[in-house]
Amino acid sequence: MKMKSILLGAAAALALAPMAQAGRGDSGHLNIIYWQAVSILNPFLSGGTKDVEASSLIIEPLARYDEKGNMVPWLAKEIPSVKNGGVSKDLKSITWHIKPGIKWSDGSALTAKDAVFTANYCMAPDGGCAQKANFADVAKVEAIDDLTVKVTFSKPKPFPYGPFVGAQSPIIQAAQFKNCVGAKAPSCTEQNFHPVGTGPFVVDQFRANDVVTMKANPNYRDPNKPSFASLTFKGGGDAAAAARSVLETGEFDYAWNLQVDPTILKQMAAAGKGEVISAFGTSVERLMVNFTNPDPKLGDKRSTVEGGPHPFLSDPAVRKALSLAIDRQTISDVGYGSAGKPTCNVLPAPAIYASTANDSCLVQDIAKANKILDTAGWKRGSDGIRAKNGVRLSILYQTSTNAVRQDTQALIKQWWSEIGVETELKNIDAAVFFGGDQSSPDTFQKFFADIEMYTNNFNGTDPEAYMGSWTCKQIPSPANNWLGDNMPRYCNPAYDKLSSEMAGTADINERAKLAKAMNDMLMQDGAMIPLVHRGSVSARSKTLMGVKMNAWDSEMWNAADWYRAK
Amino acid sequence: MLNFTIRRLLFTIPTLLLISLIIFLLLDLAPNDPTGNLPLTIPAEVREQIRKALGLGDPIYVRYYRWLVQFFVNEPLNLLGEWTHSCIGDCENRLRVTSWATRSPVVDLIAERMPQTLWVVGLSYVVGILIAVPIGVYSAYRQYSWFDQLGTFISMIGFSVPTFFTGVLMIVIFSVQLRWFPSIYDTTLRVTDWSSLGAQIRQMAMPVFVLALYNAAQISRFMRASMLDNLNQDYVRTARAKGLNERVVVLVHVLRNSLIPVVTVIALGVPQVFGGAIITEQVFKVNGLGQLLIIGIQGADIPLVQTLTFIFAVLIVLFNLIADILYGILDPRIRYD
Amino acid sequence: MLDDGKRPLVRVRNLKMHFPIYRGVMRRQVGEVRAVDGISFDIYAGETLGLVGESGCGKSSAGRAILRLYDVTDGEISIDGNEIAHLAGDELRRLRPEMQMIFQDPQASLNPRMTVAAIIAEPLDEHQTLSRNARMERVFELMDAVGLNRNFANRYPHEFSGGQRQRIGIARALALNPKFIVCDEPIAALDVSIQAQVVNLLEDLQEKFGLTYLFISHDLSMVRHLATRVAVMYLGKVVELADSAQLYGDPKHPYTEALLSAVPEPDPTLENTRERIILEGDVPSPSDPPEGCNFCTRCPRVMDICRRESPEFKQLEDGRFVACHLM
Repeated sequence: MKMKSILLGAAAALALAPMAQAGRGDSGHLNIIYWQAVSILNPFLSGGTKDVEASSLIIEPLARYDEKGNMVPWLAKEIPSVKNGGVSKDLKSITWHIKPGIKWSDGSALTAKDAVFTANYCMAPDGGCAQKANFADVAKVEAIDDLTVKVTFSKPKPFPYGPFVGAQSPIIQAAQFKNCVGAKAPSCTEQNFHPVGTGPFVVDQFRANDVVTMKANPNYRDPNKPSFASLTFKGGGDAAAAARSVLETGEFDYAWNLQVDPTILKQMAAAGKGEVISAFGTSVERLMVNFTNPDPKLGDKRSTVEGGPHPFLSDPAVRKALSLAIDRQTISDVGYGSAGKPTCNVLPAPAIYASTANDSCLVQDIAKANKILDTAGWKRGSDGIRAKNGVRLSILYQTSTNAVRQDTQALIKQWWSEIGVETELKNIDAAVFFGGDQSSPDTFQKFFADIEMYTNNFNGTDPEAYMGSWTCKQIPSPANNWLGDNMPRYCNPAYDKLSSEMAGTADINERAKLAKAMNDMLMQDGAMIPLVHRGSVSARSKTLMGVKMNAWDSEMWNAADWYRAK
Repeated sequence: MLNFTIRRLLFTIPTLLLISLIIFLLLDLAPNDPTGNLPLTIPAEVREQIRKALGLGDPIYVRYYRWLVQFFVNEPLNLLGEWTHSCIGDCENRLRVTSWATRSPVVDLIAERMPQTLWVVGLSYVVGILIAVPIGVYSAYRQYSWFDQLGTFISMIGFSVPTFFTGVLMIVIFSVQLRWFPSIYDTTLRVTDWSSLGAQIRQMAMPVFVLALYNAAQISRFMRASMLDNLNQDYVRTARAKGLNERVVVLVHVLRNSLIPVVTVIALGVPQVFGGAIITEQVFKVNGLGQLLIIGIQGADIPLVQTLTFIFAVLIVLFNLIADILYGILDPRIRYD
Repeated sequence: MLDDGKRPLVRVRNLKMHFPIYRGVMRRQVGEVRAVDGISFDIYAGETLGLVGESGCGKSSAGRAILRLYDVTDGEISIDGNEIAHLAGDELRRLRPEMQMIFQDPQASLNPRMTVAAIIAEPLDEHQTLSRNARMERVFELMDAVGLNRNFANRYPHEFSGGQRQRIGIARALALNPKFIVCDEPIAALDVSIQAQVVNLLEDLQEKFGLTYLFISHDLSMVRHLATRVAVMYLGKVVELADSAQLYGDPKHPYTEALLSAVPEPDPTLENTRERIILEGDVPSPSDPPEGCNFCTRCPRVMDICRRESPEFKQLEDGRFVACHLM
């Protein structure tokens, strides 16, 4: 391998460095394993978490989120706000000042033009940019001067930190990608595999879906960083194997996304080579409740608002009972271990948005659930299943194929049977379930079932767009090609009003209040039954220091600060 | 023989076209979506735009035609251009078969994967054969001896215990406990000196062994059966009656005749080598063609899957022909034409 | 040795060839097939001894055992004064040129992947050191001797007809100038028209090279034509051994009588008067032969003693040997 030459180069760089102490390249080689292999290093063309995180070592945004979810300036001097004048009073524009003296890895200077180019690159039609949502409502991006970027929105944006913030919205080099705009984007293999960046590392060798090797960026802004001279970003295998390579064999220093049976992870960690780390973002495993009727007899009107309300899930008592019958702690312990905690909210974080109004659901209460159903007139039949007016409480419960989800399904089926609800379980291959294939009846958008279960979250820390998912206009239907995020088909004018109110409110405390209110409304209406607040689990070698596990941004966000313990 | 070969080759053209169409239709009809694995934070409209950018909006016959042209015209022209270091036709704007996940030409991806697959899977096939033939010969020669019984037992294990079990077992023993071999294959390792050769051998040891055991189990059974068929033939008795050395009887007379069916079985197995070993590659993170295929399938990367499976189909058809021709060469009783 | 100049080339005494039977999971030996169960005879130099019997009576096993293609269970075999019954390895191999075999199925007995020249030349390489040319010369000589066109030397066995293949088999057997040849039903697999040619060839070669044959066959008329003396086998044992004329003219053993009565007469008038002796029942299994005389279960003239005692294989006054309580 070129290891030797890399080390020599690093040694030479070290000799030139003014301070010999804790200099660039001192820590030698870093091994990272992402069992889902990296396909491409251009996050605008992929959107896959693995690709976004790998590229975050190379290309950087103006600002990103730290491990606590606070926005920190990265390539920018400071976070623009209304207070410091960076955000206009009418909330329609934001002006960023780039730190002076930042160089691309090829030695040229980073300018505002690169940011403008990046925005145009992603917003170009036919480009298929996966991060376009970050540029929602952007009317114009312009370079005021070499180091000043101004983003103008088509309407007031109380939270204007979509473009250039977070790992999903980094800045690419205009000079490198100038011929790759629009329909030409996919043909730029060389650029997509070897992007020029401002980050701590540059790509040395890229093997798609296999491995990336990187070395320290010679033009990185801090002459003493990164501490690692080179790194290997390996892919392949599965989560358990990745965990083993860090925790048991010590071949790797960092492993990502270890969705492994918690007890197995614990056994592996006992080998003492590494440590399991976790961080909680906004991911919540939840049950979506179908407010519309999924009866196949309805044909095209199946699971649409036109098809009419659900025969029994439209009864609030039933939704309430279903939620009460679930023991969230058990589900969390069995399936998620340290990567989960029971939750009663669909918006569990950041802390200022987290409501405490619904926490009563944390305690399972089968007796109370039975009582609610009795009171509502649902009587047990001879087979033990409740019914009313000829409607039986018989639920089709679908989710994606995944061992943990099937365990959860089985547990819930058992609890629901105790309250006289019959459950039929169904699991669908994830690629089909989450895929947008119009011809498939099994997508989560079509929701041809009574209950469905999956996890969702949002990028960054601002829940506005996310909470907007459950407004009336987001209901998927044949008219909008089933595109829409409101899976429960929940439609409440009061909720819509809160949503639009939030879109016009800039004050963070006011926004938090609104978000909590929306969360509580959804919870009390039983549109969703949240189960587990899911964290991401990774593992680091005990010799790898400086890791700050981050659920709000790329886990690699501070890789420049990582170093090897002596 | 030449006429036979040419005729068979001509027949393969419509066969392969039909296969390519079937693969294309199957992949197209299968409910999957290249944006299905993206995080849910990417909204549905953006997904739709991604799909459009990938060309999924066009009708199926347009996409099939495009693939045909890309695969049968553009790719060969590109290869030719690369060999001759020249530009044939409109080489700048020529559309190549492009993977949806990596946005890079599929053929380049395959070429990049070839070395580790051939090294690991190919070597394991060779090792498997080298182990299997002597075991098969000796097992048949000493039928029902303890050696034969042991051989039967081991090949039963090699055959029936899946590689994902043996592979993980080996990792736990040799990587976790004994720390002899790495559990993760380094595809970037270049063999330049003795120590890198040692590292290469160490990292290949376990996957090669696991696959070789599996291959050897299969081939040694064939070898044994074929030897048993021949050992009781009159010509073997004749050979003994001639007063030939027992070694000559077994190795020259019996083995040579027994190898005829075994060689064809071996030839038919070669496409599997190129197909990689999906599971074993995953277990040891070899990331060869098998892993490329499985990633393509999981990510609904249709151009990648289509091209890979079609190349496998070509290899299978080709090696069927080669097996037939080999049979003709090895067995004087078989003559084509 | 004997004053009439007849010298026994092959001497077989009490030869036994038992094949073990294994059964069950542990493959324990549960019994044995007594294919050859104690046979004794001499074959004189230059003569043809016919060995006849029904299928399964052990005649082929006897032939193979005598040539030591099997490891015999018990008994003595001496060929030209060399005791070979219990030799093994190289010692046995060195004696192979003395004795050869011609097989029933000429197709199966020739290695399909070797040319005629290679098949014939192979034993020469093994046992002699000849130059390339001398070896080819010898191959051609042998091909001439058996009436094969020299031009066919580089062809493969499957390209020949059955009769030609048998000629290849014969040429191959003759390559090392053997003294003794076991012909194991050499014509059974051939067309009737070819049979005579091959038989005549065998006779010619016998005369030319002074060969001694053990001619195994179930074809009684062919044996009558060829053999000097004839041995009749039943269930692993020789029941009668006599000069050809004696045996065919006046069979002593009831089994021989029955066997001969089954031979059709070429003369239609004689054929009409021929009295067939039909044997009742099946041949008993050689793994479980009956008590007493092996033939007692089917013998038309069975007596009490037959079911108790196995008859001795004894010489009668006229020189023939018979194993029967009637004698």
